[in-house]
Amino acid sequence: MSVWSYCRRLVSSRRPRAPHDTDLARELASWVAELSARYEAAGATPAEARRRALIETGGVEQVKEAVRGVRVGAALDACLRDARHAWRGLRKFPTFTFVVIATLALGIGATTAIFSVVDAMLIAPLPYRDSSQLVFVWSDMAHAGYPRAPLSGPELADLRQRATQFTGFGAVWATSGTLTGDGEAEQLRLGVVTPDFFSILGVNPALGRAFVREDEPPLIPNRIILSGSLWRRRYGADPGIVGRQIRVLGESMTVVGVMPDDFRLLLPRDAAVPEDLDAFVPFNRMLATSPRTTQFIRVIGRLRNGVTVQQAQTEIAEIGSRLSQEFTDYGTAGRTFTIAPLQRDVTREVRAPVLALFAGVGILLAIACLNVANLLVARAATRTRETALRMAVGAGPVQLIRQSLIEGIVLAALGGAAGLLVGRWGLTLLIALRPESLTRLASARIDPLVLIFTAGTALTWGLLFSLAPMAVQLRTDFPALHRDVRQPQGAIHYRARAALVIAQVALGVTLLVSAELLVRTFVALQHVDPGFRSDAALSFRLPFFGSRHRTPEAMISFARTLEAKLAALPGVTGVGAVTHLPFDNIGNWAGPYTSKLGQPKATAGVMADYRAIGPGYFEAVGAQRVDGRFFDETDGPTGEPVAIVDELLARRFWKGERAVGRRFAVDPNSTGHTDRMVTVVGVVRHVRLHSLMEEVREQIYLPWRQTPWSPIAYVVRTSGDPAALAPVVRRVVAELDPLMPVYDLRPLVEYTVKARATQRFTMVLASAFAVVAVVLACVGVYGVIAYSVARRRQEFGVRLALGARPAGLIRLVLADGMKLTGAGLLIGIAGALASARVLRHQLYGISPHDVSSYAIAVPLLGVCAIVACLIPAWRATGNDAIDTLKTE
Amino acid sequence: MAQPQTLLQGTLELLILRTLDLGPLHGLGIADRIAQVTQGALHIKAGSLFPALYRLEAEGWIAGSWGESHTGRRAKLYTLTKAGRKQLAEQKKSWARAALAVEQVLQM
Repeated sequence: MSVWSYCRRLVSSRRPRAPHDTDLARELASWVAELSARYEAAGATPAEARRRALIETGGVEQVKEAVRGVRVGAALDACLRDARHAWRGLRKFPTFTFVVIATLALGIGATTAIFSVVDAMLIAPLPYRDSSQLVFVWSDMAHAGYPRAPLSGPELADLRQRATQFTGFGAVWATSGTLTGDGEAEQLRLGVVTPDFFSILGVNPALGRAFVREDEPPLIPNRIILSGSLWRRRYGADPGIVGRQIRVLGESMTVVGVMPDDFRLLLPRDAAVPEDLDAFVPFNRMLATSPRTTQFIRVIGRLRNGVTVQQAQTEIAEIGSRLSQEFTDYGTAGRTFTIAPLQRDVTREVRAPVLALFAGVGILLAIACLNVANLLVARAATRTRETALRMAVGAGPVQLIRQSLIEGIVLAALGGAAGLLVGRWGLTLLIALRPESLTRLASARIDPLVLIFTAGTALTWGLLFSLAPMAVQLRTDFPALHRDVRQPQGAIHYRARAALVIAQVALGVTLLVSAELLVRTFVALQHVDPGFRSDAALSFRLPFFGSRHRTPEAMISFARTLEAKLAALPGVTGVGAVTHLPFDNIGNWAGPYTSKLGQPKATAGVMADYRAIGPGYFEAVGAQRVDGRFFDETDGPTGEPVAIVDELLARRFWKGERAVGRRFAVDPNSTGHTDRMVTVVGVVRHVRLHSLMEEVREQIYLPWRQTPWSPIAYVVRTSGDPAALAPVVRRVVAELDPLMPVYDLRPLVEYTVKARATQRFTMVLASAFAVVAVVLACVGVYGVIAYSVARRRQEFGVRLALGARPAGLIRLVLADGMKLTGAGLLIGIAGALASARVLRHQLYGISPHDVSSYAIAVPLLGVCAIVACLIPAWRATGNDAIDTLKTE
Repeated sequence: MAQPQTLLQGTLELLILRTLDLGPLHGLGIADRIAQVTQGALHIKAGSLFPALYRLEAEGWIAGSWGESHTGRRAKLYTLTKAGRKQLAEQKKSWARAALAVEQVLQM
């Protein structure tokens, strides 16, 4: 009722003034008229009567002003008065104020930092024109174990021709090419794009122009667009670069444009297109006539104005089913297209971990605010007498509530401001710590949205934690001052604080268990056997296209010489070539395989990852042989076509029978061989290539000398430090061909480290949150127990006087602490189970209900809390019995 | 003699509520009644009365409506609401407590 009328008054003071004013004017007129009538009746002349009435009234305008003052100013005035009062109160207790503001700054700061990450990564639109209209098109081949597969050139042409809900489609494919001339040879990450790709995306070059249809070459591209960074790095930001000829892929190409410096190509990670491509060239004119099942292009589409994703999805699915009927290439499986809003698809893998961190920091903030609420209740307890006096001289519940709220808001404002500083600092730290998978994190800023969020959070929590002392005050029956008021409301305060502490401990357990599960996931990922050994090995890439060694014969001869030279280096124990390194970001090479030649490939069922490897690769990378043999020198271009498969394929395809010696047909589209049968010569343990957490697809390994792809990567195993080997490798390659660029020269372990970087990031943050949470929860427990000890000083004094032993008192206090902690722990276990369920997709090698995690976290927090209780317990025994009895 | 401006905030409101408890009155009627009851000790001026009336009305403790005063003029008559009656009872109690407290403080 009181709060309600307070709110009503606040609202009513904002109503338009006019009706009140006319009403008041009429009322005053009638007042003056009646007074004058009175004076007239007493014998005054009308004029005299009216003059006296007006004097008596004290000026009509002044009265109106006084009422207006009540109406408009009262609420605001009182608030300002309360704010000043709160500020004075805070300054009087600097330690209390510091602790509260520091706690809030920590909680709000951490939340602000994480929210700016959420903002940058999940909320902020992609940096393209009307980016909500952009969608990514996938070919859903879930039937073959490939739910997100690329499209083929003819399919892009079909979409362009048939789709009406889109303004257009563009495609990109990532490859690499050597840049020569103007200095040292350099390997570029090249984006091959359709001419309209940039206009579909909604980005224009900063210099020159985008591609046009006429730029499409018959075969090899001869027009190129540079990235801003390549233009600066290699050409000193030459403003006259457009129109110049540069040599890429061994061809002379004309620079037609330069992209803006901040341009990043943000596509889903499994599209395998690096976001910082060095340059772009157009697809050739053969794209639309390439085989319908050679799927390698990543297609984006732009929706027409007002078209929903759902409508577009319906149309594109229809096109897919019509294509399935028109073309036999798809076999019985048909073709299914799906689209995903680009924004959602780009953030698809980071959404869950980022939101989990956000939830975690929310819990941390809740604990911090519970601590503040606890401190405020504690202070309300010390202020009981002041409050009683205020109530006695006329302060009603409305005033007390308002004062409490205003105090909360003042604290929240101070805490929020300090939190913003902490948040800025925290964000800098986060950006420094960020894993490569979270590149967009680098663009996180404290922008207006973050400011609004922080202010809103601070204010909400300020109001919430001021409720605690308010609730206690309202339930306190303030007796007259002459009664001893300590006992009854002391109990109310204790109960309120105990409830707050139980909540803190519960949230603390939730956070601690979640953090522990994430830590154990990370540890499990460090110990997972990915099927290869990444330690003590160096890796690098060589491009053959664009070099002197372009024919298969030249490539193989160069590779053979290089391998011999590397193997002869001191300390080197293995050398091998491979098309893709595990966990690299080269476009994946996957395709179907069949048992017989001539079967429709796309219906053949399962897709496998294809890799071409040189002899010695499996040995160098430390893969494990299950059956048969690995490739050797005999598996050359003229030898029998052979393959090694992984155990997953062997087990599924030959159903328990021995795979070695069996023959199957490889996919002509992805191997470049016309229909070809290969003989299995060996079975290898599955090597994790895409994710440490799962075995994604079956694998087929072909001898590189029978399928010489470029670029090729090398793995060099050494008994020494792989990093120390790097300059030696560079020198060896330069001796063979000074124009051959060596790139991505780095220890193999870097790929593995990168593969678990996101988990590492979430684990580090979650652990930090958990540590802070435990500390805050323990401070809370300490505070309550210390308060209870202080309150029971006389009781303890009496007990000591009656012969109680100090150990007994300590037990008594500890029992109180344990009750609180125990209740918190029990509730916390339920909370932890719930949060582990939410986290389950991010866990690896550990069940969300792993008993041992709880068996560590719960007692850990329990022990910390008990230690926190020991200090006040110890103090309880320090009471001098006589002293106590004397003071009371 | 107590001046209106030295009245504790809330006291005037208590007096108004108490006055209206006896029946609806218009502004001047309230001032007259208080003066009469306190035998002229408290003479409420318009500058104090109207703000107080406004406050009470905003709290929902009294309700004003246009009618006729006993002299037959158009005047705004105030009535005590149900909430006002409850408030009056509470204020009476807290007044008693405050009076006691103030007395004790003065005797300290």
